[in-house]
Amino acid sequence: MRTKRRLQAAALIAVAVVLGLFTVQGTYALWSAAAPASPGTVTAASFDTTMTAVNSGQATTMTLSNGTAASLTLSPAGILGPGTSGYGGVAVTNNTNAGGQFNTAITASQPTIANVNGGSLASYISVNAKSAASSTECSTATGFAPISSTGLVSPTVVKGASTVFCFQISLDSAAPASVKGQAVTIQTTLTARQLCGVPSGC
Amino acid sequence: MKNSTLIKGTAAIAVGAALLLGGGGTLAAWNDQATAAPGNIVSGDLKVGLNSAPGVWTDRAGIDITSKIKDGSYLVVPGDLLTFKQDLDVTLTGAKMAANITASGANATNGFVGDSVIVSAPVLTVGADAVPNPLTTSKKVTATITFEFKSGTKDRVDVNKTYNFNNVEFILSQVLPAGA
Repeated sequence: MRTKRRLQAAALIAVAVVLGLFTVQGTYALWSAAAPASPGTVTAASFDTTMTAVNSGQATTMTLSNGTAASLTLSPAGILGPGTSGYGGVAVTNNTNAGGQFNTAITASQPTIANVNGGSLASYISVNAKSAASSTECSTATGFAPISSTGLVSPTVVKGASTVFCFQISLDSAAPASVKGQAVTIQTTLTARQLCGVPSGC
Repeated sequence: MKNSTLIKGTAAIAVGAALLLGGGGTLAAWNDQATAAPGNIVSGDLKVGLNSAPGVWTDRAGIDITSKIKDGSYLVVPGDLLTFKQDLDVTLTGAKMAANITASGANATNGFVGDSVIVSAPVLTVGADAVPNPLTTSKKVTATITFEFKSGTKDRVDVNKTYNFNNVEFILSQVLPAGA
């Protein structure tokens, strides 16, 4: 008697499963169609900025291939004497390959002046700077001013264009004879920043 | 005695056969017939395909940059917002035809890292409105995908990277209408 009930229950379950499968498979049997599209590939631009020393013509990309920041020697022209100045500069070019608008602004930080091999020359050196449209302006003594703590910001540099930073290094006219022959290292950091050139993009 | 039985049986069969033949006489009685023409049963159709007009890429200002995307000359920068639109022709015929259309961005190859880009799933619209699934009639459906390179991307993150959409698939699947 018990075996009979078990058989009946098993049969009932089997029928239910079969009916269930038929029900599910029925939906698969309905029509369907598909259409593929290939929108294509979107590629990001490069952010390449080139620096060229005005006096020497030496050039480098702002970021090296290994991702580190490049260092460029500007080699200011002239030998400093008390009350005289030397001039140098760097041209910065926006070399991006962006498809649309890509404007940048370059900022030159407040310079640091450090004595080389000791000495006290640094305290008699001052650095002024100006932003210029052409490297020829670097040899004229007008327009230079100290760089503030927020840095000297260039005008907008559009794709493919350049801006120039000119530097004036001066030796205090009160510099003592003891600093003769000494050297200093002057460093400033240039930072290129993308402006919100994409309309409504920021 | 056996022969008698055999003879009787044979006779009975013969009588039965004769009765059957006699019954055939009813074929000669009246009869009539009529023909009906139920007609043809024709199946409907279900089809989805790309509209003959190719998909279009536009930038944030709405300028068509399709050819530049195709030849790889349009390179995106942070702040870019690109939109791709593709029209689809949906064919649906049948008295009780109903179908849902869905889309999937399949097999995208994304070289961008982090969260510098936002790529929307394909959005389907009929005119300016969302697709009213299930569809019951043939119509043009527009699929839209947006690609945003976030303006907050810092340093040189994701320069020269690519996002390949590969195949985006649009699927039209018949459903049983209510009461079918």
